[in-house]
Amino acid sequence: MCLMAVNKLNRGMQLMSILNLKKIAIYFLMIMLAVIFVFPFMIMLGGSLNNRTVLVASPSMWIPETPSLKNYRSIMNDELVLRWLLNSVVISAIPVLTSIIICCAVGFIFAKKRFWGKQVLFWMFMAVLMIPSQMTLIPRYIMYSKFNWIDTYWAFLVPGIWSVMYMFLMRQFISTIPDSLLDAANIDGCGDFRVFAEMILPLCRSAIATVATLSFVSKWNDFMNPLIFTSSDSMYNMIVGLASMLQKTGNFGIQMASAVVTFLPTLILFIAFQRYFTEGIALSGIKG
Amino acid sequence: MLKAIRKNSFILIVLIPILIHFLIFEIFPLGFSFYISLFNWSLVGNHEFVGLRNWIDLFQDPLVGKSLLVTFKFAVYYILPSMIIGMTLALLINTKLKFANFFKELYFLPVVTSIIILASVWKWIFVGDKGGIVNFLLETLFGTKNQKFFSDENMALFITALLSIYKACGSLMIYFYAGLKGLPSSVFEAAKIDGANSWKALTKITLPLLRPTILYIVIISTIDVLQTFESSFILTGGGPNYATTTIVYHIYKTAFVNMDMGYASSMAYILFIIILIISLIQYKVLNKDVSYGG
Repeated sequence: MCLMAVNKLNRGMQLMSILNLKKIAIYFLMIMLAVIFVFPFMIMLGGSLNNRTVLVASPSMWIPETPSLKNYRSIMNDELVLRWLLNSVVISAIPVLTSIIICCAVGFIFAKKRFWGKQVLFWMFMAVLMIPSQMTLIPRYIMYSKFNWIDTYWAFLVPGIWSVMYMFLMRQFISTIPDSLLDAANIDGCGDFRVFAEMILPLCRSAIATVATLSFVSKWNDFMNPLIFTSSDSMYNMIVGLASMLQKTGNFGIQMASAVVTFLPTLILFIAFQRYFTEGIALSGIKG
Repeated sequence: MLKAIRKNSFILIVLIPILIHFLIFEIFPLGFSFYISLFNWSLVGNHEFVGLRNWIDLFQDPLVGKSLLVTFKFAVYYILPSMIIGMTLALLINTKLKFANFFKELYFLPVVTSIIILASVWKWIFVGDKGGIVNFLLETLFGTKNQKFFSDENMALFITALLSIYKACGSLMIYFYAGLKGLPSSVFEAAKIDGANSWKALTKITLPLLRPTILYIVIISTIDVLQTFESSFILTGGGPNYATTTIVYHIYKTAFVNMDMGYASSMAYILFIIILIISLIQYKVLNKDVSYGG
């Protein structure tokens, strides 16, 4: 009797230790992978705080002995870099604002309104998502040079006023709003404009947050469009500016500090709105 | 009539400008691109109509063939490894242990980071002299001599693909994770009762059930590969000896460095057609094959 109890206890403990071992193994794997994933970011941060101009391969390189902000000071005194930052803010922030309003309005129409040709129009919009953006780069370049838009903000602000992807996200979200809510507002005699401004927009807060973060980050990180549609270096955005630095100077510290500065807005948004990023990716399949 | 317009004024006021915008910036470039491809079109000077010559040249251009081959090799280096890593990450965070969510966000970080930023670090990690960290590690661990990563034809493409893997596997993790969450838990309980171990459960139950997710990922990864450009631009400039000149990099060079817009347009059109076919296959396959049967 007693023996059986001991046996049982033993088996129970064995099972527990196996479970624990499994847990430990999983944590070990997760931490190892995390180290690999974070490693490039550590190099970036460490390098930016370093005084050295070339990378010296020893562990001391990413834990600088005497961390200094010299590199940051020098890029923050660089008028060109400040200009790149300003350009990035302009061509990221303004399209986000217009996109939110327009995508929400169009999404509302496709989710809740009925009119002739709606399905055809919707699928025509959606079909464009299959077109790779590189495909239209050449015709757009020729168009914009005819408009005299090359090397100006217009080449980014006008075409980027809304996007099909975010309209689709909005439509999906607005579809979940119960019709009865809108009907009640209609009976009360609210026109579509008031319904949109006073009901739809406030109800869409979380969808708007998703669209705002995703579109800001994708515009901030945009490389191809600014590369093609700018010609003078004072019109680069921060990303193209960083790329041009990578191809010219070989100063490790300065390059890493610029990379950190370019990365910072994304990181802050990511930490603040993590949920929206992963949800947005799962929903739409866009990659930051 | 007037009443109908007033009743639908919201729709008209919003949709008409948007439709015009859409036609100008999305639809018109598609047709215009084909028009350009029929010309010998450089930015300055006259455009000379050449008919289908650009399209015919395409099939005789050794660089087009080479860039297709490079892109194919890139796909081999990239697709399977990134899926295996993405799946591993998804399985790890699906254990729902404490902090799993924190790790999920960490693995996701490269996805939101610009590839140019990541490439700036990559460039220094793989620097071809003693200064490169990878060279340092290889030498201390295995005594390997300094590798010139970016001037070796095979190595250069592999390192470029490695950067894409690093950037993408976080998003593949999210797709797999979403797929795993959608699986019916009753199947796993049944398997546990039948005494299946974890590996068996993974290969015999999880992966077959995830077939739709896997198909979806293969297809979007293929489309991604076909559009690879930035890492070649920053890390290697397409070299050495065109070993990292992907299709899009070749199009970029032809259009904006050699200023041969007509020829580049015909190449871009071919790329578009390839991607369109893959997208249509995706649409067909996925619409047929999404239910888990119960």
